[in-house]
Amino acid sequence: MNSLLNVLIGLAIGLNLVALGTGRLQALIRIVALQGVILGCVPLLIKPDFNIIIWVFTLITVLMKGFVIPSLLRWASRAANVDRDVAPMIGFVPSLLLGSAGMIAALMLSFQLPLLPEHHGSLLVGGSMATIIAGFLLLVGRSKAIAQICGYLVLENGIYLFGLLLVHSIPLLVEAGILLDLIVGIFVAGIVLDRIQRTFDSLDTRKLNILKE
Amino acid sequence: MTIGLILATAALFHLLGLVCSMRAPRAWLYSNSVANGLLLATSIGVLCTATEWEWKSTFTVASEQVHLRLDGLSSIFLSLLSLIGGLGAIYAWEYWSIQKHPLSAKWGRFFWSLLSLCMALVLTSSNGLHFLISWELFALSAYFLITLQPQKKEVRNAGWLYLAVSHAGSLLLFAFFALLAQKTGCWDLGPMLERTDLSTLFWLALLGFGVKAGIFPLHIWLPSAHANAPSHVSALMSGVAIKMGIYGIVRFSGWLPMPGSAGWIMVVLGIVSAVLGVVFALGQHDLKRLLAYHSVENIGIILLGIGFAMVAIDHGKAAWGAFAMAGALLHIWNHGMFKSLLFLGAGSVLHSTGTRRMSDLGGLWNKMPWTTALFALGSAAIAGLPPLNGFVSEWLIYLGMFSSVIQPSSALLIAIPSIILLALTGALALACFVKVCGVVFLGAPRTPAASHAHECGLWMRIPMLVLAGGCVLIGLAPFLFWKLLISAVASWHGTWELTPMPAALKLLSLSHILLTLAATAGFLLLSRRARQKGIQRRLTWDCGYTGPTPRMQYTAGSFAGTITEWFSWILRIKRHEKLPCGIFPQQAHLDKHTPETVLEKIIEPCAQWILWVSRIIRQFQNGRTHVYILYIILGLIALACMTICWS
Repeated sequence: MNSLLNVLIGLAIGLNLVALGTGRLQALIRIVALQGVILGCVPLLIKPDFNIIIWVFTLITVLMKGFVIPSLLRWASRAANVDRDVAPMIGFVPSLLLGSAGMIAALMLSFQLPLLPEHHGSLLVGGSMATIIAGFLLLVGRSKAIAQICGYLVLENGIYLFGLLLVHSIPLLVEAGILLDLIVGIFVAGIVLDRIQRTFDSLDTRKLNILKE
Repeated sequence: MTIGLILATAALFHLLGLVCSMRAPRAWLYSNSVANGLLLATSIGVLCTATEWEWKSTFTVASEQVHLRLDGLSSIFLSLLSLIGGLGAIYAWEYWSIQKHPLSAKWGRFFWSLLSLCMALVLTSSNGLHFLISWELFALSAYFLITLQPQKKEVRNAGWLYLAVSHAGSLLLFAFFALLAQKTGCWDLGPMLERTDLSTLFWLALLGFGVKAGIFPLHIWLPSAHANAPSHVSALMSGVAIKMGIYGIVRFSGWLPMPGSAGWIMVVLGIVSAVLGVVFALGQHDLKRLLAYHSVENIGIILLGIGFAMVAIDHGKAAWGAFAMAGALLHIWNHGMFKSLLFLGAGSVLHSTGTRRMSDLGGLWNKMPWTTALFALGSAAIAGLPPLNGFVSEWLIYLGMFSSVIQPSSALLIAIPSIILLALTGALALACFVKVCGVVFLGAPRTPAASHAHECGLWMRIPMLVLAGGCVLIGLAPFLFWKLLISAVASWHGTWELTPMPAALKLLSLSHILLTLAATAGFLLLSRRARQKGIQRRLTWDCGYTGPTPRMQYTAGSFAGTITEWFSWILRIKRHEKLPCGIFPQQAHLDKHTPETVLEKIIEPCAQWILWVSRIIRQFQNGRTHVYILYIILGLIALACMTICWS
């Protein structure tokens, strides 16, 4: 089981780098959706015994991360009528280099940490930290508000992955609650996007600094 | 208990004044006068009977019990406050009249009452927290009084400077009271001489209160604030408000154990303030700014007396310390009176001519005889001339210093230079006021504004007359006040209440009375002879010129030119000149300007540096959300590193 789990997490880490390297908004949304679907399936592998609650939870997560949120974002970007590129503030190559460096650092660190015996040999911790770093990079390095929301989603994926470490002691209900928060967050972000677009005639968050006193 | 009742009634009248100040000006004037009259009577009563009133109620403010105390020392200040507070309000009735200043007169009345009330609270409160609250309210209401004319730019600037400096001082006081409360475990104030570990706190108090008192390097707010405030406010500020700083220093030097060098430092600070205050005053061309610098000088003299008393305590409470302290306390009264008199006189000049520039005035004697006479009396008093009060208090301080020289001790080292420099200060002050009286009141009017001057009305004259009467009374009969002073000295440090009155004080009083009688007789004789011989008053400076013009007179700058040249190392006078050249020179002018050396050479460069640093730091707050997220990441990484390193 562990090897399949590592393959999935490895895919998610790979998608981080793809997300950092892509220049198109629509592609970025698709990548984040795919990452969400992949990570949504992970609980099934961690708790292999058949459990209807796990299945329902997985289904909801995949639906939300893979379809509902991306379509909300696509709807928002269509409504705001934005350009297609992500307008990077940190270029693609530096982003990729930083992302890779972050990934290596995260994996190195995860090998040093005193983990529980059952987590040895798994990419869960390293992968979650690498994903969090990638999410931060997207948040800092992209100036389009939609790209930043994608960064936020990647960040959340990392946190979700970390939360799965504790899946034996924390009920999945907590994870479900976080998912609900996420939906509400994206929903609010959609409204904020609309407002930014109407006020500044652009979704470039660099223009927000005129709000500074 | 009667004292408590009277004080409560006075406070009620002050509160009534606060309520009336907006709508009922006349009621405000009455209640303010009654309140101040009651306070004056109480404080004089406390001084005469040498009692101490203390009241600790179960009622709490800010979760601290209200604890009030009125002893000899606070009574000295309270009596001055009530005198000036009452007289200034009467003066303002005409000077800042409702007809001329409909809006600001209203706020002027309100903050006048608030300021008086808060100062009275500062003087009576015996709880550190309440002291701070009253102190802060007092500082703020003084700010609003200074900026009664906010439409003028220099008034706004003066107000800002005052507010900033005053709050820097308050910050030090917050530190002082907080540390005191931390070390003693409660906010209650009182004598704690046995706690020798508290002695270092005195330096904080000296700095914090020194800012308010206007000791020399800390005086930067004082000249502009006193010059730009309305004159009755200047009188209250200069006469009373800066004395609150002195009150703080005296109060806590009596309650806390002193570091060994405190007295010496105070003497040095006092003498520096006295000499440099008068030197800067000589360089001024603005009448009220000049008076403001004389406040620095007189604060220096007061500080000198207090410092000497502290040195005396180190020398086993020698009797000469009591003389110096009594002199300092009397000088607090005296300075309050003659400085208020001078500011009210300057206000009268300003009211009738509309200018404070001395070079635009001149020849006001003919138009304003009352103001001239009263201002001249105040000038003689501040210059320390007999037979007036300034001489008496300085004489007491001299007496203390001379007595310390007679009994050889280490105090001699500082007493002799202090005597010499105090004498220098007196001489320079005399020169300065000869300049003021000569340029403003004598000679011929220099501008149309000065030639159309008119005498002030009765409302403005009566307060000045009362203050002048006070100056003369203390000058002629100082022995009447000895008992009052010594009871205040005793409440500062016990065992000095038995100090006998210096025998020379009665002699001094007698000689003053004789001098006055001789001067009056001489004056009457001379004026009778002048009338008999038909001597007429003619134009001043009419010395044989065919066409004399007022511009040929000495100006304020040229009169003091010689002396200011001696002190050019600190004054740094700026000259703007265009010299006459050629055979028939067309144009020439000379203009001298004394900058605020401490402010412009020390404080402003420091402030510029702070602004420069702040501008760099402001770059971090640039409004870009990306960068803010980056800060969060860096913060998280730092936290992670800390956790890993420490575990």
